[in-house]
Amino acid sequence: MNRRDFYRYGTIVVGNLVGLSLAIPGIAYVLDPLLKRKVQGGGEGKAGFQEVAKLSDLQVGVPMSVPIIEERQDAWVKYPKEPVSSIWLVRQPPCDNKVEVLALSSECPHLGCAVSMGEGGKSFFCPCHTSSFDFCGKPTNKIPPRPMDKLEVELSKDSDPKVLVKFQRFRAQSEEQIPLA
Amino acid sequence: MLNKLSNWLDERTGYKALMHEALEEPIPGGARWRYVFGSALSTTFMIQFATGLLLMLSYSPSSATAWGSVFYINNQMTGGWFIRGIHHFGSQAMVVLLAMHLLQVLWAGAYRRPREVNWWFGMALMFLTLGFSLTGYLLPWDQKGYWATKVATNIAGGAPVLGPAIQKVVVGGTEYGNQTITRFFGLHVGVLPTLFMLCLFGHIALFRRHGLTPPRNAEKLGRGTFWPEQLFMDSVASLAVFGVLVFLVVSEHGANLDAPADPSSANYPARPEWYFLSLFQMLKYFPGNQEVIGTIIIPSAIMVVLLVLPLLDRIMPGKLSHFLACCFVFGLVGAGGYLTYEAMKSDASDLAFQADRKKADETRQRAILLANEVGVPPEGSAYVLRFDPLTHGGSILEKRCLSCHYFDGKGQISQNEQGEPVSSPQVAADLKNYGRYEWVRGLLENPKSDAYFGKLPQLDGMVEWKKGSKLKPEELDEVARFVASFANIPAETTPDEWLNSPGVADHPGLELFVKDCGTCHVVHPDLGEGGLRDAPGLFAWGSPQWIRRMIHKPGALDLYGYLEPADQMPAFTNAQLADNDMNMLVRYIRDDYFKAAPPEAGSKSEAKVAATQPKK
Repeated sequence: MNRRDFYRYGTIVVGNLVGLSLAIPGIAYVLDPLLKRKVQGGGEGKAGFQEVAKLSDLQVGVPMSVPIIEERQDAWVKYPKEPVSSIWLVRQPPCDNKVEVLALSSECPHLGCAVSMGEGGKSFFCPCHTSSFDFCGKPTNKIPPRPMDKLEVELSKDSDPKVLVKFQRFRAQSEEQIPLA
Repeated sequence: MLNKLSNWLDERTGYKALMHEALEEPIPGGARWRYVFGSALSTTFMIQFATGLLLMLSYSPSSATAWGSVFYINNQMTGGWFIRGIHHFGSQAMVVLLAMHLLQVLWAGAYRRPREVNWWFGMALMFLTLGFSLTGYLLPWDQKGYWATKVATNIAGGAPVLGPAIQKVVVGGTEYGNQTITRFFGLHVGVLPTLFMLCLFGHIALFRRHGLTPPRNAEKLGRGTFWPEQLFMDSVASLAVFGVLVFLVVSEHGANLDAPADPSSANYPARPEWYFLSLFQMLKYFPGNQEVIGTIIIPSAIMVVLLVLPLLDRIMPGKLSHFLACCFVFGLVGAGGYLTYEAMKSDASDLAFQADRKKADETRQRAILLANEVGVPPEGSAYVLRFDPLTHGGSILEKRCLSCHYFDGKGQISQNEQGEPVSSPQVAADLKNYGRYEWVRGLLENPKSDAYFGKLPQLDGMVEWKKGSKLKPEELDEVARFVASFANIPAETTPDEWLNSPGVADHPGLELFVKDCGTCHVVHPDLGEGGLRDAPGLFAWGSPQWIRRMIHKPGALDLYGYLEPADQMPAFTNAQLADNDMNMLVRYIRDDYFKAAPPEAGSKSEAKVAATQPKK
């Protein structure tokens, strides 16, 4: 190797050394959300169930929208308990009236808009891309990729049972109900 | 294949000729180490550009969010401390390299005809670099940046004629806040980089036009080319600079983040970045209305001289003007070095500065601990500490209460003539552990102690009781435990509800309390009717609601209204103690705040923190 070659390769090695030792932490920094194990927005509510209503609040055939209230960590800010989403509660849904309470996430499985009550109060309807669902959460047109997301429900043993729901978010657009983690 | 592709691209862009022209530039006299400063500066600028873009992905410019977002970058994001550290120390490297580049150019006479315009481009780049430093320093919106910027903009405001208007525009009003941050942020990431790149383009284009200033014996030394010899030296220099940056970042654990900006803090020891320390020191020699000499006239005069240096050749022989120029600039560097040294020496021997700095560091660590473990409240970063009883309540206690009371054996601390800390004299009880078992038990043992009523002869009831009391130590323990339990009575509970709640009627201290205390103190009519001696009611004594009432209305009939007004504690109204101040004060006295648990052997750092979550 002559002098010029030494300079040539030396420059390339040195240049890459500086570039890479900056690029590697830089890429890690950009990919931080992928590298973080802690799920954002999860207070203790995420792990467990929270009370959203009493059974007597719910009428058969009339779905009710209730807020999900959780503490929230938004990057550096810690928010106290406040509404972070809402869900639909359906008492004795028409498809399976052995189920006492069906809890459906109001986040549309299509692209995440909030599913509201359709005209006439006979179905669920998403105002963004017109996904529509029956009161069991089954799609009634071909727009959504899957039914509305079912959330786990527990009823307490009280005389007027409390409705406890485990709130979760799921990936949009997939045909399976996959929790976001 | 690769060759084919590069030919295809070359046909359409002509990039090979461009590359050739850029790389094969001849260097008369050959490559030299002394030419590396410009390249090292360019590399550092590129490092600043890249790390700056990364920081922008997560930085949030507003007075409520800036500190929190920088904290998040620094302490929670992968590699964030490294990226911010490189950006922080990189800004200092820019200043150092700039000075070295300037000295090399001056020494070589490279500022002279025909390179005058390039010298001016260089000057513009220097101004812009200092502008980057000044604007970037504020962006974390921490104490350091806040106070340094306040000083810097007040200096600008002191300029004759337009000063106040310029200051108002830069600050975005008369108050420092959201508009100051957005303006500085816009300057730092938009205006200054654009101007810098335009000037850099002009600087490099002119440099290529004129070439390097050849050494006198260039003919003998022969010719070299930029690639690969000079570029190799440049890249080694860049590696050295980067190596120093990495060393600084790693050994300092990234860049420092001070406590969130607090305009109300009384004694924050503000200092500018070290390369402005000489200017800072110079101000000390121009007191009062001479200030403007140090802040505006001298710095402007230096700038003017630097700008006209290339023109001196026209009025005097070239050798003389070069000699004078070198004398002037090296003299400046020497004077700057001396002033910087003086500034550091004076701080190092200033005990009050050291004490303030130590306090500021404790506050900083507390803020970062709270942000890590509790989170930044939605109200904004300043409330990390304003909602912290230890910091805020402690400071309220010191300002408002410790002129009479003591806390843990100390009153208000000041310095005597020898610079030693001394405490204000004690007039009232020591509030450490107030409302808790330790305090009550101590009182029952020795009410005459200074910690209780020793300094309050008007409150002699307990002393008198002690003389006649036959309670045994174990019995005093039980009574103290019973009285200390009053502090846990919830705010909305009535005396009846409390007496009927579990654990009260069968408390082992209750009977002794009725016998020995109920004769004077009223808690519940069933526990003694009082009246033997005047004494304050003790229902919910030591609870937040009781302490709050005691501070608002110490002269109420159920408290110390039986004393002469002059013997009572002065009342504090809502206007004197704002809601949050009162809350923080009460929680501080009650020891109700977030504490980091002492580290246990073998425990992970995550588990270091106690499970006590502070309540609002």
